[in-house]
Amino acid sequence: MTIKEMTSIYSITAAGVDAIGQRYEEPEWLRQARRAAWETFESIPWPTYKEETWRRTRLTGFNLDDFTLAQESHPRADSRAALPADLLANLEKIDSGGALIFLDNTLIYADLDEDLAAQGVIFTDLRTALDEHAELVRAHLGALVPASENKFAALHYALWENGAFLYAPKNITVEKPFQVIVQFSDGKAHFHHTLLIGEENSELTVVEDFMGAANGMSDSVAEIYPHDAARLHYLRLQNLDHTAWNFATMRASLQRDALYRHLQASWGSRLSKVWIDLEMEQPGSHGELLGLYFPQDHQHLDHHTNQNHKRERATSDLLFKGALDDQARSVYQGIIRVWPGAQKTDAYQKNDNLILGPHARADSIPGLEIEADDVRCTHGATSAKVQEEYIFYLMARGLSRRTAKRMIVQGFFEEVLNRVPVPGVRTKLEDEIARRVGLE
Amino acid sequence: MTAVLEIKDLHVSVEGKEILKGVDLTIRQGEVHALMGPNGSGKSTMAYAIAGHPHYEVTGGDILFNGESILDLEPDERAKLGIFLAFQYPVAIPGVSFANFLRAAVSNVRGYKERAREQAAKSGDGKVIGSELMPMREFRKELMAKMDRFHVDRSFANRYLNEGFSGGEKKRGEVLQMAMLEPKIAILDESDSGLDIDALRVVADGINKLVADGMGALLITHYQRILNYVKPDKVSVFYDGRIVLTGGPEVAHMLEEKGYKWVEEDLAKELAAA
Ligand SMILES: Nc1ncnc2c1ncn2[C@@H]1O[C@H](COP(=O)(O)OP(=O)(O)OP(=O)(O)O)[C@@H](O)[C@H]1O
Ligand SMILES: [Mg+2]
Repeated sequence: MTIKEMTSIYSITAAGVDAIGQRYEEPEWLRQARRAAWETFESIPWPTYKEETWRRTRLTGFNLDDFTLAQESHPRADSRAALPADLLANLEKIDSGGALIFLDNTLIYADLDEDLAAQGVIFTDLRTALDEHAELVRAHLGALVPASENKFAALHYALWENGAFLYAPKNITVEKPFQVIVQFSDGKAHFHHTLLIGEENSELTVVEDFMGAANGMSDSVAEIYPHDAARLHYLRLQNLDHTAWNFATMRASLQRDALYRHLQASWGSRLSKVWIDLEMEQPGSHGELLGLYFPQDHQHLDHHTNQNHKRERATSDLLFKGALDDQARSVYQGIIRVWPGAQKTDAYQKNDNLILGPHARADSIPGLEIEADDVRCTHGATSAKVQEEYIFYLMARGLSRRTAKRMIVQGFFEEVLNRVPVPGVRTKLEDEIARRVGLE
Repeated sequence: MTAVLEIKDLHVSVEGKEILKGVDLTIRQGEVHALMGPNGSGKSTMAYAIAGHPHYEVTGGDILFNGESILDLEPDERAKLGIFLAFQYPVAIPGVSFANFLRAAVSNVRGYKERAREQAAKSGDGKVIGSELMPMREFRKELMAKMDRFHVDRSFANRYLNEGFSGGEKKRGEVLQMAMLEPKIAILDESDSGLDIDALRVVADGINKLVADGMGALLITHYQRILNYVKPDKVSVFYDGRIVLTGGPEVAHMLEEKGYKWVEEDLAKELAAA
């Protein structure tokens, strides 16, 4: 192999796409899907500010040619004790029923409660799932978020190499959360995929934590399938390096009487463009979307949400809260869509922003599209500075200015924190908030 | 030593407008000094200036605590000296729990932080090992005891600071905070306003207990009513940014009877004589 060939197989090109299929000896349907996705990617123009979706988020400075695919593979750790100290510490903050740790595309550690495995729960990396449960993967991969969804989703389907796979059979309730930690190396492009499937009347909680990717990019997709009366909780903690570009497309499809709860905590990245879509596909489903963000310096975090009510008697509830420091910016664009015939829809959407920095700015664009007449939809957005009267009140009681400010910011997030279903995650979020406000 | 708060020829402006026009007032530990005056005369302005509110600019005169000026001190430093302000309108702070906030406040005022840092310095590596907060169990115990002693419902501890509190609950909350912070001198800005008869008794009883323990109180009020429960040593009348009259409890009765017209007429006579 020539040097040129060696580098090209890890490049973001058609050759790089084909090389993945060869490297993993993938089935033909998957290779074809990759090629089709690449073509879709090439056919979609780069977004410009002329599109409403991108009007407030510019990709100035982003150049796909700056990146190559991660090529190193990493050794497997046989036990928790063999893990690097920082990963282990992160893992142990949550009492989990199973864990997966990824270093780039390599699954370096996995464990799963034996009882759960015996009951038919599958919790592994997508590569293994593809080998061992091909039909399950084939039926779900790309079925919810198609490559044509947006340019970054197309790129993702052309280039993904691994990800997390969780499957719960019918009537299985798992109390403890599953934990996924994804650590990306620097300067590379990463395409992690998350596939969560809860069969009828199952219950699952997943915490997925993304880290690293300094001067790199992450372009991820998550597809979540809560089947009839299933209850899925997905807590996604985006802790990427502050120099990383981050693109993520996520969608959950809620079947009859299903419950889906999504927590999005966005701490990292220089720029994030994130789509979260709850599809209330069948009657009686209930979707919840909680969001926290706290950009600092020049960070720019952009979230789109969609509460899509297709059928009757479904409810959805969204609360997104952000604090912004320094020159940071946030964009929140949320829509509630109620389809014709989706009567008795009850949908709520709220976005609150707390402006801490002198040059910080939060844009909030809520929207409603309602085509049914017997519905209740409420939305609202607020943006405010820390009130000097609050600071004075607390200082008059003996708190320093910093402590006063910290308490006010923590208090601002309390409404979301109170609803975090995993105590260990709540603690992590509190710590991160405290760290950002600045401990004394 | 008995702590003394002295206000000397104090001039204060808000947004460029002079509100206090030379106030002289002394408050001693263990004493109750009532202050009455018409709406807008500047009573709260004085209270804020004592507590160190940044919007209230001291343009002349001085505020001394035990003989030393506190004008350069931040509000939290004044609180640590033992000065407390019970707000006329306590603010509600979303998501901040009463207990958490109060634990941080008590710890700061009682010097837990300084002690933790001193120990850290002594231990050599400079790391703060111990908590900078009062131990949870100790704090809880004291809080519960004081809630009982000052007739505040125990559910307060887990509620958010003044959020959804009724007017009366807010005022009781201020008294509880005062009881926990154990100030030497407290400025009570209309702590009796908006209270029903039972709540008024509870608040008055709280003030009396703390005064008996040695606290000095400046009781800003519009009504003689509370003075039936809290016996003032002195009563001053505040008028247009100044104290125009100081006397014993009889002054409050006169005001109740005759209103501020009486003070106005008196002032006019004085001016005419001069
Ligand atoms: N932050 C402020 N901004 C503008 N004006 C102010 C401010 N604070 C006080 N003032 C003005 O100063 C004057 C005195 O107000 P202050 O609240 O001190 O009166 P008060 O004696 O406490 O009245 P009340 O009995 O109604 O509580 C008023 O004219 C008020 O409008
Ligand atoms: Mg007042």
